[in-house]
Amino acid sequence: MKGRHHIVVETRRLKYEFDIKRNITIIQGDSASGKTTLVSLLREYGMRGESSGVSFVSDVRCEVYYGAADSWERYFESIHNSIIFIDEGYGFIFSKDFADTVSGSDNYFVLITRKPLRRLPYSVNEIYGIRTTGRFHFPEKIYHEFYPLFESDGYPAEKKNPIVLVEDEKSGYQFFSKALDAECIGVGGNAKFYHSIREHTRPDGVLVIADGAAFGAYITDILSLRSAMKNISLYLPESFEWIILRAGVTNAGEVDKILAEPENYIDSSQYLSWERFFTDFLVSATKDDSLRRYHKNKLSGYYLKGKVMSDIIDVLPSDIKALAADSKI
Amino acid sequence: MLNIHFGKVENAFYGPSWFKANYAPEWLADPLVRSFLRDIDRSDYKGGNLIDSEVLGPISPGELSGGVQTLICIYKCPELVFDATSCGNNCARWLLEIGKLEDITVMLEYFMEFNDQEPFRIRIDNTGEIVENIRDYTFAALDILNAEDYDEG
Repeated sequence: MKGRHHIVVETRRLKYEFDIKRNITIIQGDSASGKTTLVSLLREYGMRGESSGVSFVSDVRCEVYYGAADSWERYFESIHNSIIFIDEGYGFIFSKDFADTVSGSDNYFVLITRKPLRRLPYSVNEIYGIRTTGRFHFPEKIYHEFYPLFESDGYPAEKKNPIVLVEDEKSGYQFFSKALDAECIGVGGNAKFYHSIREHTRPDGVLVIADGAAFGAYITDILSLRSAMKNISLYLPESFEWIILRAGVTNAGEVDKILAEPENYIDSSQYLSWERFFTDFLVSATKDDSLRRYHKNKLSGYYLKGKVMSDIIDVLPSDIKALAADSKI
Repeated sequence: MLNIHFGKVENAFYGPSWFKANYAPEWLADPLVRSFLRDIDRSDYKGGNLIDSEVLGPISPGELSGGVQTLICIYKCPELVFDATSCGNNCARWLLEIGKLEDITVMLEYFMEFNDQEPFRIRIDNTGEIVENIRDYTFAALDILNAEDYDEG
């Protein structure tokens, strides 16, 4: 499935209105914010339609899984091009089998869970809380909306000379270690950031640069660590390939349109997460261009010098740009 | 004291299910339970099985939030271990309040924030460490939740 899907669920007392635009959306947050009530209303509508008294508007089907903990695989096999909501309390969503099911699925999944799903790459931008507006005085209507719990560039570097931690030693590392006037370390995977931050604690601070499109399972713990240590900053672009595409240094067509609304181009059955799409797109767009050809494992010199490097630095947030070696800007 | 076990506890109970199957209406009249209802669910107990919710109107105990249902279970059955993962951060202060009255052990599979709750005393069940401030709690909890051998379930 592709695209952004606007959903309205309404009763005489309650209204939920929100968009779902990636294959994995997480809802978490305080108790009593209305998560389970939303799922209950969707379930009622699914069972009884309009006669339930629940009004439902969406361009795609929404399903709620409320079956046994061991029969979900058969159920999901029978559902296509739908948004599947799963309330908290189902342990199977943390399993490898469930991760395998989501990978390649033409459904979107909305999962209510505070426990992170380390087996799935989901975006920091698709973790939502639910907040209400209204007068909280029954029977006046209460409106519920989703709001993002995290921001991809909301945790700026405050220190002048931080150590820079990136996911691995591939293209992003190769770029940042040359562009920034700072020590750069590839930590060896998203799960290793926590330990690396603990290991590299120092007064000048730590800057984490990670793929926001796949960092959702780690963001809460890293931000909690940031609150305790005070000297951790984060930059979480969709991916390094997304940065290159934004910089306009390739001859790839339709980039602006794609970057403006990636959800309209990224098919969930083909891409488990957006960063894999941006990588494929960049590789494909440059494959016939010997100068700009992009390899994730070995970044072409084209991206590492002169105006091209400067153009890429230019799309970074100002706090990261301030760390760039003077000669590279 | 509040004991927190980070990660799976064999035979721990899922609060919302356990509550629906086993609650006693008289529990709802307890002053501390009334405080959970008011603070978290914006609700008041009216007697019998009736609760008045500012958001939902008249509701039954089975329609309380999962967080409040779990808190009630923890408070009323301190000898059992419940999974407090179904409790949001807004339940943290009430876990500490229960812990002042009873020795309780809860299982937790996410980093619950105890911000603005100092001073407190929490025993980390995995290690036996007692933490009394946010910084020590943060490191103790996150080190376990991010350990390489942590069981994802």
